[in-house]
Amino acid sequence: MSTSGSDAGTGPGANRGVSSSGPAGSAATDRFAGSGTHPDADTVEADTTGAAAVGAAPSATARSAPGGAGRRGTVFDETMLGTVRLDGEDHARRVRLDLRVTTDRVLRPLGTTAARASGRIRVAGWADDADAAGELEISPLARRRIRYRISFTADGRRFTLDGWKSVTPRRPVASMTVLPFTLYENGERAGRGTLRFPVATGLAPFLASFRFPRAAEGAETLMTPRWKGEPGRTEVWYTTLTDPESGTGLWLHHELTAPADGSEPYAHGWAAVFPKDGPVRHARFGPAEWTPGRTGFTAEGVEAVPGRLTGSAGALRWDLTEQGVDAPLFTFPRWSWRRPLLPAAQILPAARASYGGTFSYDDTTLTPTAAPGASARIYGHGNARRWAWLHADLGDGDVLEIVAAVSMRPGLRGLPPLVFLRLRRGTRDWPRRAERSAVGWAGLGRFRAAVGLPVWTVSGRAGLHRIRVEVTQPEDRTLALDYTDPDGSPAVCRNSERADAHVLLERWWFGGWRTEAEWTLDGTAHAEVGTR
Amino acid sequence: MNLTGFVASLIADDGTAGWPSRVPARLDAVLDSMPLPARAGVRSAARALDAYAVVRTGRGLAALTTGERESVLASLAARPALLPLLDVLKVPVLLAAGTEHMLQRPRRAPRPVRTDPPLDCTPAGEWPDRSTADAVVVGSGAGGAMAGRTLARAGLDVVVLEEGRHHSTASFAGRAPLERFAELYRDGGATVALGRPPLLLPVGRAVGGTTVVNSGTCYRTPDHVVERWTKDFGFVLAERLGPYLDETERTLNVAAQPLDVLGRNGRIALAGAEHLGWRAAPLRRNAPGCLGSCQCVVGCPTGAKQSVQLAVLPDACAAGARIVTGARVRRILVDPDRPGGPVAAGVRVRREGGGEFEILAPLVVVAAGALQSPPLLRRSGLGGHPRLGRNLSVHPATSVAGRFDEPVTAWEGVLQSVGVEEHHDGGVLIEATATPPGMGSFVLPGLGAELRRELEDADRLATLGAMIADRPSGRVQGRDRTLLRYDLDRRDGDRLMRAARAMGEILFAAGAREVLTGIPTAPRARDLGELDAVLAAAGPRKLHLSAYHPTGTVAAGSDPERSPADATGRLRGVAGVLVADASVLPGCPEVNPQLSIMAAALAVTEAHLER
Repeated sequence: MSTSGSDAGTGPGANRGVSSSGPAGSAATDRFAGSGTHPDADTVEADTTGAAAVGAAPSATARSAPGGAGRRGTVFDETMLGTVRLDGEDHARRVRLDLRVTTDRVLRPLGTTAARASGRIRVAGWADDADAAGELEISPLARRRIRYRISFTADGRRFTLDGWKSVTPRRPVASMTVLPFTLYENGERAGRGTLRFPVATGLAPFLASFRFPRAAEGAETLMTPRWKGEPGRTEVWYTTLTDPESGTGLWLHHELTAPADGSEPYAHGWAAVFPKDGPVRHARFGPAEWTPGRTGFTAEGVEAVPGRLTGSAGALRWDLTEQGVDAPLFTFPRWSWRRPLLPAAQILPAARASYGGTFSYDDTTLTPTAAPGASARIYGHGNARRWAWLHADLGDGDVLEIVAAVSMRPGLRGLPPLVFLRLRRGTRDWPRRAERSAVGWAGLGRFRAAVGLPVWTVSGRAGLHRIRVEVTQPEDRTLALDYTDPDGSPAVCRNSERADAHVLLERWWFGGWRTEAEWTLDGTAHAEVGTR
Repeated sequence: MNLTGFVASLIADDGTAGWPSRVPARLDAVLDSMPLPARAGVRSAARALDAYAVVRTGRGLAALTTGERESVLASLAARPALLPLLDVLKVPVLLAAGTEHMLQRPRRAPRPVRTDPPLDCTPAGEWPDRSTADAVVVGSGAGGAMAGRTLARAGLDVVVLEEGRHHSTASFAGRAPLERFAELYRDGGATVALGRPPLLLPVGRAVGGTTVVNSGTCYRTPDHVVERWTKDFGFVLAERLGPYLDETERTLNVAAQPLDVLGRNGRIALAGAEHLGWRAAPLRRNAPGCLGSCQCVVGCPTGAKQSVQLAVLPDACAAGARIVTGARVRRILVDPDRPGGPVAAGVRVRREGGGEFEILAPLVVVAAGALQSPPLLRRSGLGGHPRLGRNLSVHPATSVAGRFDEPVTAWEGVLQSVGVEEHHDGGVLIEATATPPGMGSFVLPGLGAELRRELEDADRLATLGAMIADRPSGRVQGRDRTLLRYDLDRRDGDRLMRAARAMGEILFAAGAREVLTGIPTAPRARDLGELDAVLAAAGPRKLHLSAYHPTGTVAAGSDPERSPADATGRLRGVAGVLVADASVLPGCPEVNPQLSIMAAALAVTEAHLER
């Protein structure tokens, strides 16, 4: 609901609002959008760090993200066999070179691509170094050369293999597969040889090894403001966490609102604490003037920047450090964050984060250490018409993130909620495509949400798995806040950082469903429901 | 095909002497070293001659008696149109016959003057397929050697690539001149510039390039030439040529040739010039301690001549440069996608025995010679400049011989000994030049018995050569094979006629009984008047012409439209390619160009290092 609608975000707290509506459906969206972080399972490897991320730049804002929003790299494996004759020896030795080649950009067949290579070199009776490393210059057409410079250790001495394939259209196969090289030790020649790419046995694995992972993008990039001055936008940085020691839930909400009427943008937000044994309390800060050009959110002494959250609101005061411990998670399709075609989108710069520091309210001071939680970002036109949100840290590195929303846009507001559900187990996100749960196959097989209070549910099936999520937000642990959209329309958000959740994951197995995993969260789920 | 009958006819082998019977085998060897067209031409002509004999007598030349062969040749010689053709056929035969005839005579065994300084030479077959360097120099001749030495001394890792092989002084001393001839020259010495008239344009191919086979004459670039290069072409480096010429002269130990080993050929030239009151003197040469072996053109057998593989390349190797022999550069590798435009990245080289290797280097110095550099650049995709390969200047040359009563024995003494500069202002430079028999550009007159007599009396001949400063009227075409076009300018034809007459004057003044003109239809003149008449009737195209010293095909200059290389010798349109050989000279140097080329190469590389 973006545009039209106003209100409500769900945010973990109150209003964070974003709006958004799903493209597809209408519903969806609330604020979150996102998709799994990892590129798909297949490509996961590529982002070795896991943090892959993508990007950030909305189209409208047209920010060219540093490092290129959503820029992809290339990874492939290559194995070559051949012989080398060391200087001073009268016989050739067999060589095997296994390389993993990584570039920061998609290979450019017509241009030149610099790449890093690492792998293993084996020379019969002389060397076996699994830490060989070096670089490649891949320029098959422009420079007609694919050059390898690989350093390795043999006999405790350091050698460099330097050679290149010299590509010629007259002998395309031979010239692309034969790599004559020279060995150097400290710049002095130490041998020469030839490696060959075995086409018959090596081509299929070589081609199958190609991956084009998105270049890793730091949390800093994902935390940078997206707003570039357009009226009628809202941008949110919010953080929810659970102090494991006291069982207290915390919610920090930082929001930038650019009213649709073109008046001055303002920064505001609130903090809320959900003690285990006391009433929920919260306090607002702002509105304050917005200063562009910062990293993250900074206004009126409140900061939400990569790695750090500080500020105060009323009697609440916090100074927390944040450490992402997982790759970004895109609850909405990744493209919707890069190009904000949806009314709004939500991402988690890190699917899970660990918090430490202090949070004080009244006369109580919490000192969470390694407290689990997550920060999220929302950018869009406003809040949804109705929405529900869940962030559940399932333990053992598993995370469940759900946004179910009905858009404000005319025509979409009559649809059932669009469900964006991302279950990350290990490095894999399920369903693989974020769109799958929202729209299914042209609507068939989409995930269902029954949004209500105090209990709401989401269920759906994708592939051989099905999931059922039941979230309970007891009224005494829930905070109701009023949201205001950029166009001024109101919404009400009911948020609990001490919600309960039950998640059942089943797998189909020869005619029946078997439980694959089941999680029960008792007061550690973060959830909210927004209405108009 | 068997050349016995053909040779026996031309040199009238009557079986009375042993050496003519060995000539056919020698001729076979000579032909084998020549490029296919020349080889096929000579063999076809021999076949045609044989066929003519069959038609005329019913038998082939080999089956005829000496008298019958004479009559067959006489009937051919009666047709003046055939005489120039027969003259061309005589060239390889005389080369073989001269060698065999000379081997009859006792020879002084040449003594080495000094041992060769060491070179770091690697045959291409032993060079790795892939290597890198700071700079690659294509060609090891006058320009390439100087560039290689300069860059190596500046601390760069330099590889010099040479298509030919390395020949040591010892290898020269151990073999007959003709055996060396085929190895040291490109196309077996039969490089021809097509045009009217066609010109023979011999160029060397060996470590040391043409300096191995030139006469060692070292003229400094004349001042008026330097001025023309600077003012007319904007070749700014020419202004600084003086100190570089000094350094080159020091390097090569250039000095005036002492009179002691000058030889009678040179003395005759001096005497004739003195009689006429003309300016003449022994030439300045790079051959200290020259023993007068008269074999400069096939490699000095004593090591006296300081060609660059003895004087420059050893210094380059001492500074770390390496030479790869038997390595023909196929193309200069260019990285077209570098920021700022295309950049040279190295070279791809074909090995003599087959196969290729590559060297990556950010600097490529092109010094393949004026005839080979343009095709190399075209093969490399760098031949886009419309003036590349044009502007070819050579020194068209002709020679005449004088017959004296006393033996001259021109091949004992300095090969190119005396320069007569009386007409140099008019673009004519006369140099007394004698060669081992058959290797000179002078062709003995006659056929059959007459030619045989001339061969056996050759020791009474003194030969002079004259080269003229030409207008650049040639071009180098081709990518893989060089194709030369050269059309003699009308003005240059007049100069050649003046040169021929002046040489006749010198010879008559020195007491020659007759002058051999080299013109097939009128080979002899007994006095100056007769010579004038012969020359007037013949015209320059009838002279026996050859050409030397090709220059100017990748000329340097300030005008981007006229000059493929910029004013400091960098090839336009690509970064990292220097031109440092005769092709970079913007115009005809008007003198033997070795010093000019070396100084220009020095200037180009120094200018690069200063940047």
